[in-house]
Amino acid sequence: MGKGKPFLEVLSSAIHEDYRFPFLEVFAFLYGLGTFVFASFGVTITATGATNQVTATANEVVAYGAVSSILSLPLSIFIILVFKNIAYGLGSDLEKGIIQTYFSYPLRRRGILTAKLLSALGVALLLFLGIQISGLYILAPDIILPQLGTVLLTYAASLSYPLLIAGIMLLLTLKLRRGGISLVVGLVLYFAMSIVSGIATIFAIVTETPLSLQIISAISPSIVLTQYYGGTLGNFWAPAFSEVLLYTGVSYVIVAFVFVLGYTYFSRRLNL
Amino acid sequence: MSLIVAEDLAKSYGRVVAVDSLNLKLDEGSVTGLMGPNGAGKTTTIKMILGLLKPDKGWVKVFGQDPWDNTAIRSMIGVVYEKAFFPSHQKTLDYLQRVCRIFGVSESRAMEVLELVNLQEASDRDIRALSAGMLQKFAIAHALVHSPKLIVADEMTANLDPQARSELLDVVLKLHRDEKVAFLLSSHILPELSRVCDSVAIINRGKVWAFGKLSELYEKYAVGIIRVTTDNPYALEAEIRKLNYVKELESDIRGISVRVAEGKEDKLYEDIPKLAKKIKAKILGIETGSASMQELYRLAISAKERK
Repeated sequence: MGKGKPFLEVLSSAIHEDYRFPFLEVFAFLYGLGTFVFASFGVTITATGATNQVTATANEVVAYGAVSSILSLPLSIFIILVFKNIAYGLGSDLEKGIIQTYFSYPLRRRGILTAKLLSALGVALLLFLGIQISGLYILAPDIILPQLGTVLLTYAASLSYPLLIAGIMLLLTLKLRRGGISLVVGLVLYFAMSIVSGIATIFAIVTETPLSLQIISAISPSIVLTQYYGGTLGNFWAPAFSEVLLYTGVSYVIVAFVFVLGYTYFSRRLNL
Repeated sequence: MSLIVAEDLAKSYGRVVAVDSLNLKLDEGSVTGLMGPNGAGKTTTIKMILGLLKPDKGWVKVFGQDPWDNTAIRSMIGVVYEKAFFPSHQKTLDYLQRVCRIFGVSESRAMEVLELVNLQEASDRDIRALSAGMLQKFAIAHALVHSPKLIVADEMTANLDPQARSELLDVVLKLHRDEKVAFLLSSHILPELSRVCDSVAIINRGKVWAFGKLSELYEKYAVGIIRVTTDNPYALEAEIRKLNYVKELESDIRGISVRVAEGKEDKLYEDIPKLAKKIKAKILGIETGSASMQELYRLAISAKERK
């Protein structure tokens, strides 16, 4: 017997549970709605006399603005879906004993967690990006094709913080073996970021140093990305493209670390 | 060959010691009962055997291997938990066919195991629509899909009515007789263990207090037991209790089990008719050495406590 079959069957079973009717249909509709209704293809960046500091080209700024406009609502929907799948899906599987049932199958623990995460996160991500990029291609093919790098970087920078929260929720769900508290923590962390970044921006303006924003960019690189494509703090922080890549890379290293912790705990320490 | 060997196994939850220096051995083809009250450590022991819990101390080998995250062992074991949970929005037959694919066996096996537990009529029902008893039967069908050599079941009949319980025990006997499947069954319902088990481990306070073939345990602990059947057991019990050579006694609605000091069996046979006459009770029968499983359990525990 190959190792692939048990994995695919557990994955298929997890997808069946996570996306049963009407979840898939409702979320796909909301993704589509958010993508097509909120699309805006004008330059939306309002610089405060500091546009000369912006190092991105005009086309890149337009592409960034377009992606940002169609991203906002679907990103929130993506987060809700991922939170549901991790806190409610994995949490209740641990609480009720379905994971115990999976542990009677000839599949390693890490394989079971991978199947659960592919269903909870991977399918949600595929759905999100699939609808978003298709929408962008339909609405503005002249933006997406020449500026593919900008488009992908914008998605990468926007998704790393939600993925970090998902990783933290995973750790909490595994440790507590239920999803309720991790759902609350996830929501608090998600909403806390806008407050924290607001405070950091004020702090940066008052002190005229970008340190606070740079620190936050390490976990939420959309901040440095916004700044790169024409943020309002250009007089004292005009990040280079390499800096954007660095912050985005660091944020994904942090995300990867949190998920590795989750895998290690699940494989070596999780007592059921 | 030993299917399960546990040595010096220990597990605590904070300050609560669940299992303490437990030793256990399960041989091929045997039906072994883990017998003990609630909180004795049966479920924790089973979880360590199944690789769901890591022992704090000691070790357990299943088919000669460490069970933690061991896929080879999982292909040889069927598991039934006290409360069975499965992905609930799938149909019973569909889910069992999925399990067939997981274990690489023919999908036709799914219907076979449903028939074996008399659940074929529920084959197109959602798992969440099954009653507690049906769900437990489904759990047993699920454990049988890959024709395991060993089935480990934790309180598998706890949620069942007497009829369903009896049917399940018939399935256990049938599998053991026809397919030589070994079982490790934990239960606190002792009569059902006596029906199917050929050996038992009596667990109390996280330790194995007695372990062996049932016949050997009866010989060891139930010697000197006299069972008196009467129409007035509680009144007769009060009289028998006054006899100074009586060591232990227990009564139920049908009679009294008396354990006497060595060599005093004949004396009890002489005294009982006199005592019955005094309280006008009718003696329906007196029998030597016929302790129930419950009495065996109690005797083994009290013998250990005396030590």
